[in-house]
Amino acid sequence: MLRTDFIEQLRRRLVELGCPLAPSRRLVQEVADHREDLKQAALSEGLSEVGAETRADVQLGDPLALAEQLLVALRRSSWWGRHCVIGFGVLPVLAVPVLWLALLLLQLSLEFTLGFGWDPKKLHAAAANPVVFRHLVIVIQCADSIAMALVTLLFCWLARRAAVSFKWMATASTICSLYALFVQAIIKPHSFEIGVSWSPHWIRAALPLLIAGAICFFRQRMMQRFQEKVAV
Amino acid sequence: MKKTNPSFLNGIPELLVLRLLARREMYGYQIVEEIRTQTGESLSFGEGCIYPYLHYLEAEKQVSSQRREVAGRNRNYYKLTARGRKRLDELTSEWSRVTTGVALLMGVQHA
Repeated sequence: MLRTDFIEQLRRRLVELGCPLAPSRRLVQEVADHREDLKQAALSEGLSEVGAETRADVQLGDPLALAEQLLVALRRSSWWGRHCVIGFGVLPVLAVPVLWLALLLLQLSLEFTLGFGWDPKKLHAAAANPVVFRHLVIVIQCADSIAMALVTLLFCWLARRAAVSFKWMATASTICSLYALFVQAIIKPHSFEIGVSWSPHWIRAALPLLIAGAICFFRQRMMQRFQEKVAV
Repeated sequence: MKKTNPSFLNGIPELLVLRLLARREMYGYQIVEEIRTQTGESLSFGEGCIYPYLHYLEAEKQVSSQRREVAGRNRNYYKLTARGRKRLDELTSEWSRVTTGVALLMGVQHA
């Protein structure tokens, strides 16, 4: 019953509009159920199978417009969807450094607990040993980049979940990127600092943009595959 | 520009859906049909438009849903929650206030 033109058009449009998979499945299932009820009602009035299906489609209206209405309602149903400007434009400015720092310190604490990371005594001891110091630099740089990547992923996930347009995901990722450019953990012999550095770190700054780009790319591929599947 | 009474203008579908679900649990098609028949066909939801609305109400925790098989058909049944009942009371009293006001005005004009 699901494989009808109306339902496929609805499903395709929802995917094109960036509707997440789970709500999209549910919406399509419910509209398909509704269409079946309309069809049964028409059949009980004596219409033919084809006539009943046609009438059900006419009653449901344009599937593309319906998909857009469904998506608008889905966006309105979450705080992030209703307040895109605050959620993805203003909040990241305040929350990214806090979240990044919290995640960085959490990782360093975990590494310290496991015995591989940084602690003040080790830092002083490592300053005299270039191999150990190099190891510490790598650990802290990795922790730093992972923290920023996790913050970016959090905002990307929120944007996907709220089914908002890609521009909001890109906005939040750009803010993460700007922070990554200047705010960083700096390790030097005998000192470990977290703060603003005026020498931009371009590779680190590219990470949030690469994450957003990768999500966009996979979404496009998923849409392409879906359209090929429907075309077959 | 100052908004007109938004809860009065936007709250009617919410009031109708919550009122119907206060009586018994229903699925989308039933709600659309009940609105049409019980308002003497003077009000009707676009078929399919009810779902975004129901999902919105569910996100607001005013209704809850459960997928169940009844008479060989699987459907999502919606029912009112405690929060929905509270919201229904608010909307009902607001509706009474507005209709009383309009009735008074219309009475004055007709006099």
